[in-house]
Amino acid sequence: MTATDRPPTPVSAPTARSGAASSAVGRRLRQVVLAVLLPILIIVLWQLGGTNGSLLGGVLPTPDRVWQAWKVWAFGAGGFGLNPYSGTWFANLAFSAERVSKGFLAALVVGVPVGLAIGWNRLAASTVDPTVQLLRPIPITAWLPFSIAVFGIQDIGAVFLIALGAFYPIVVNTAQGARDVERNLIRAALMMGASRLTVLRRVVLPASLPSIFTGMRIGLGIAWTAVIVAEMVAVKSGLGYVLWDAYYVGRMDVVIADMVTIGILGLLTDYIIVLVERWVLTWRRMQSFQS
Amino acid sequence: MGTISFDKVSKTYPGAQEVRALEDVSLTVAEGEFVALLGPSGCGKSTLLNLLAGFEKTTEGTMLFDGAAISHPGPDRGVVFQEAALFPWLSVWENLIFSPKVRGLSRAAYEPKARELLKLVGLEAFADALPVQLSGGMRQRVGIARVLAMNPRALLMDEPFGALDAQTRLQMQQLLLDVWQSLGTTVLFVTHDIDEAVLLSDRVCIMSARPGRIVQTIPIEMTRPRSITKLTSPEFMAYKAQIMSGMQVGAIH
Repeated sequence: MTATDRPPTPVSAPTARSGAASSAVGRRLRQVVLAVLLPILIIVLWQLGGTNGSLLGGVLPTPDRVWQAWKVWAFGAGGFGLNPYSGTWFANLAFSAERVSKGFLAALVVGVPVGLAIGWNRLAASTVDPTVQLLRPIPITAWLPFSIAVFGIQDIGAVFLIALGAFYPIVVNTAQGARDVERNLIRAALMMGASRLTVLRRVVLPASLPSIFTGMRIGLGIAWTAVIVAEMVAVKSGLGYVLWDAYYVGRMDVVIADMVTIGILGLLTDYIIVLVERWVLTWRRMQSFQS
Repeated sequence: MGTISFDKVSKTYPGAQEVRALEDVSLTVAEGEFVALLGPSGCGKSTLLNLLAGFEKTTEGTMLFDGAAISHPGPDRGVVFQEAALFPWLSVWENLIFSPKVRGLSRAAYEPKARELLKLVGLEAFADALPVQLSGGMRQRVGIARVLAMNPRALLMDEPFGALDAQTRLQMQQLLLDVWQSLGTTVLFVTHDIDEAVLLSDRVCIMSARPGRIVQTIPIEMTRPRSITKLTSPEFMAYKAQIMSGMQVGAIH
């Protein structure tokens, strides 16, 4: 009898279950604590290690100075100061975010169809893919002179670099996703009377979405790198411009506040993609939960 | 309607090491007939089905469906795959109406029949479920229903119950018997299960392994309608014994 072999747990089952629920909350809390532990430790050590508000002989401002600088940068200093960073934080953040959005959307609009074509169509794979692979190793920084020469010191140059940087991971991952579509799904669709275009739209595209989202997340990371590089050189506004400008006038407090801003923005925008992915790929998430 | 004819069909897969999958296969399936292709794995029985479905091309010979050469897949030949091959991002209902929808039929034209089919396979309560939420047997029931929703002239079934547990397989065999006995569609059924072949079909074609060819054809003359209770009858056992000797089960080459 297997029933008697079982340990006598049924009596304590209810408590075990409520214990499991509270331990799930506990686990989550523990994760959050563990995640913020290291950043807090670094900030505290950095603060304690400084003398007269700076580290390394006056090079690095301590966190409290950075915080002060950010407050002025964000909300203004009051009165008629000559501080060029007073109250411009949000405007610069918006400049950068707008460029990233435009460039990223352009990369998505071009990258997904091109990737699907490469992954799905042999002719597209042989004609387009080699060119993509040839251009891909050229870093976006190497495109800077080209971009300035062609577009001048203008927004479009920055958007071009961002789009180019985000395009490669999107196109490569989309193509991989389209190549990996289960053969029987395509056969099933053809058997049911779908045209090749319908198969592309209603089978290959949805089946490739998990890979497309992977490409989007990598692409977005590159887009943030690209916007900073482009703004440092090719335009006169945005977080990248402020970063370089503040460095030139020795405002390391603004430089660090700027860096933290970029980091938080990158994290938030990535999280937006993750949320959209969760919503779009419910079927996929359920699959992985059950396996 | 639904007649199948293979005449001296061969299939070779090219490559560094050529594979001769089918050799000189001739077979005729009449309208409304249920024929099983029985053989060990790798005997080319699935290849035969893929040729007929239009997924692959023959190397030699001619292959006709209702008198016309087969050039590409189409809804006149409904294929049921071993692993159901449902679209995981579509609900049961969306999977069921995929074919009429992509062929541009009006909702009024397909909805009543689709509802009926959903009921027939006992999945009314699961219309909005995703395939991942279903058991293997339920998934295969959707796989069969979506094919019936296209009104095919023939059903091509590629070991459709091969991945199911024994009890679910029996249920599915009974379901298929019931459905087929009321529809009378031509069926070509690939299997490696002798019981299944005898229970379901009018004729069992035994295939040999690589290169695949039909070595023996045994008519199954048990009365219709049949049910899974036949599985233990003496006449069933006699057919089984005959097929086992035909397949030389037990002999080691």
